[in-house]
Amino acid sequence: MSLKRDLVVGAALTALAIFMIWQSQGFPRIRAMPYGPDLFPRIIAGGLILAAIGIVIEGLRNARRGEATLSADTSTLPAHTAALSFVAVAALVAGFALLLPVLGFHIAAALVVVLAVPIFGGSLLLALIMGAVVPVVLHYIFYSLMRVVLPWGLLTPIAW
Amino acid sequence: MDLFALLAVVLTPKILGTVFLCTLYGAFVGAMPGLTATMAVALLVPFTWFMDPVQAAAAIVATTTTAIFAGDISGAVLKIPGTPASAAYVEDSYRLSQSGHPRSTLYSALFASVVGGVIGVTILMFATPTLTYLSRNFSSDEAFWLAALGLSCAVLVGGPSVPRNFASLFIGLAIATVGIDVAVGHPRFTFGNVELYDGVSFIPAMIGMFALSELLRNAVGGRQSSRLRLSVEPLRQALVTAARQFGALWKNVLRSATGGTFIGALPGAGADVAAWIAYAVSRRFSRKPEAYGRGHIEGVVDGGAANNAAVAGAWTPALVFGIPGDSVTAIAIGVLMMKGLTPGPDVLNTDSAMVYAIFGSFLLANLMMLVTGGLVVAMATQVLRVPRAVLMPIILILAMLGGYAISGSTLAIWIILVLGLLASAMLWADIPLAPAILGIVLGRIVEDNFMVSMLKARGDLTEFFARDIAAVLGAITLTIWAILLYRALRSFIAPAKPQDNPDTTRDTSDR
Repeated sequence: MSLKRDLVVGAALTALAIFMIWQSQGFPRIRAMPYGPDLFPRIIAGGLILAAIGIVIEGLRNARRGEATLSADTSTLPAHTAALSFVAVAALVAGFALLLPVLGFHIAAALVVVLAVPIFGGSLLLALIMGAVVPVVLHYIFYSLMRVVLPWGLLTPIAW
Repeated sequence: MDLFALLAVVLTPKILGTVFLCTLYGAFVGAMPGLTATMAVALLVPFTWFMDPVQAAAAIVATTTTAIFAGDISGAVLKIPGTPASAAYVEDSYRLSQSGHPRSTLYSALFASVVGGVIGVTILMFATPTLTYLSRNFSSDEAFWLAALGLSCAVLVGGPSVPRNFASLFIGLAIATVGIDVAVGHPRFTFGNVELYDGVSFIPAMIGMFALSELLRNAVGGRQSSRLRLSVEPLRQALVTAARQFGALWKNVLRSATGGTFIGALPGAGADVAAWIAYAVSRRFSRKPEAYGRGHIEGVVDGGAANNAAVAGAWTPALVFGIPGDSVTAIAIGVLMMKGLTPGPDVLNTDSAMVYAIFGSFLLANLMMLVTGGLVVAMATQVLRVPRAVLMPIILILAMLGGYAISGSTLAIWIILVLGLLASAMLWADIPLAPAILGIVLGRIVEDNFMVSMLKARGDLTEFFARDIAAVLGAITLTIWAILLYRALRSFIAPAKPQDNPDTTRDTSDR
């Protein structure tokens, strides 16, 4: 388990490094500049590869000594429910980013809260109550008190 | 400097009232996730129009000082460092409060911050003339070495596995390369997104890596951890514990505050760098270095003392050159310049009243912070009693709105998402997060100064050692790197004995 994970990590880091080197091929150089914009990405890519090698060696050594890393999976939920919750929270963030300018922050925030409460184990009633209360409080703190400019979206006609 | 003259400037009812209100305001704003010390000061700017110069200086100084401390509060309670300066030890303070000691942790941090701030301003008062001389000779060469030295802290602030710390650091540095490059102005890794030309901004990055990854972990944890209702110590007991902890660590506070002041005084290195270095040094000299990053009070106290001391220190380059040590001081010095302050080597003669007011308000603000900061801590820790199903959605929405509020662009929310997922992957892979944050902070500084120096030296690398201060800094940096490399190689060639690093196989990502 541990070795397999370390191999995956090493591969991912190497892939990132190769991507950086490949991209930096296209960066322009100027004669007057002794070092171009590709220098640091290349150094960093080199560092990533060294770190990847180190992690794999470490994994091999641990495997040989027969020391398995503790499993990170401490969840009591079935694996697919856990994965679903993870994806759901990530989707909420993405949805908020997409809908914030369209719906305005009151409606978008209410939606996020109503959907998020059940994910974290709350009841539907709690979700509805919080969906009603949270946007008002946010409006007061961010908009009235702190004067942060937030989009009104659909509610623009009644904005104040 | 004349202490009585200084006190005479600030000990008026008007200034006392201003400082009191502003420390309360700074503590509240700093404690709100996503609202930083920088923002607190920025929001204050319109009000300073109606103040006289001395009052404006007092207001800004008081707000900054408390906001930097209050950043610890949301860090400990919600794992969202309120300011970058609190990021170094957020892992420790969060775990401490999760294990039932939120108040004593924060009161210890408060005491450390107050003493750190007082030490900082005392040094500032007596050393400004000398530091003026030293930093007059500062150029991009020195700044490069200093940032490079800062990067070596990655090995110290991370976990027990050296390659994993390096992986984390380089991931952070890779993130820092996003945006227009300094050498020729070519957009790198922006995927055609114009908004990314400025690079990945720090606040959303931090919210994503610390807060969202924690939310995701909680979501996966399901109902199981909702049973772990957190206990909050009674106020009295918390104060006693904190006083005892502080008493045991006063040497650390002294060391970190002194160091923090000088780091803060260097141009470009602000409170955040000071906190990282103090944390790393603290771990180095601690009797229990293995406890760091798992809820150990020592690092919290050291970092807390250093960043508040650095806030004072950061005023040195600001006053002497008009080059602020960090972004908060940048806004502050801008306001004061509009109020008639002229930064320069003669500032102590030309604007003595204002400079006295700044020093005096620093002292006053730090003392008042004991009361106002303590009040906010007592209230904020109640948050931990709130059930998870209520708290987590609120953190989620606060994190996203907080990120959005900084730039007014939904790009911030995307950054939060991407870096939150990245951080989750890193936690799964047992890679610590702290070095990556360090890489994001320092990556740009290292590259910018390197390019500026190379442009001046026409690509001659030996130029980095041509100046006295630079040569010393460079020699220190290279020596430290050589030692680190030697130790890394040695541990690889001769496999570590079990007592060498007993934690290699332990899972550091889990609480």
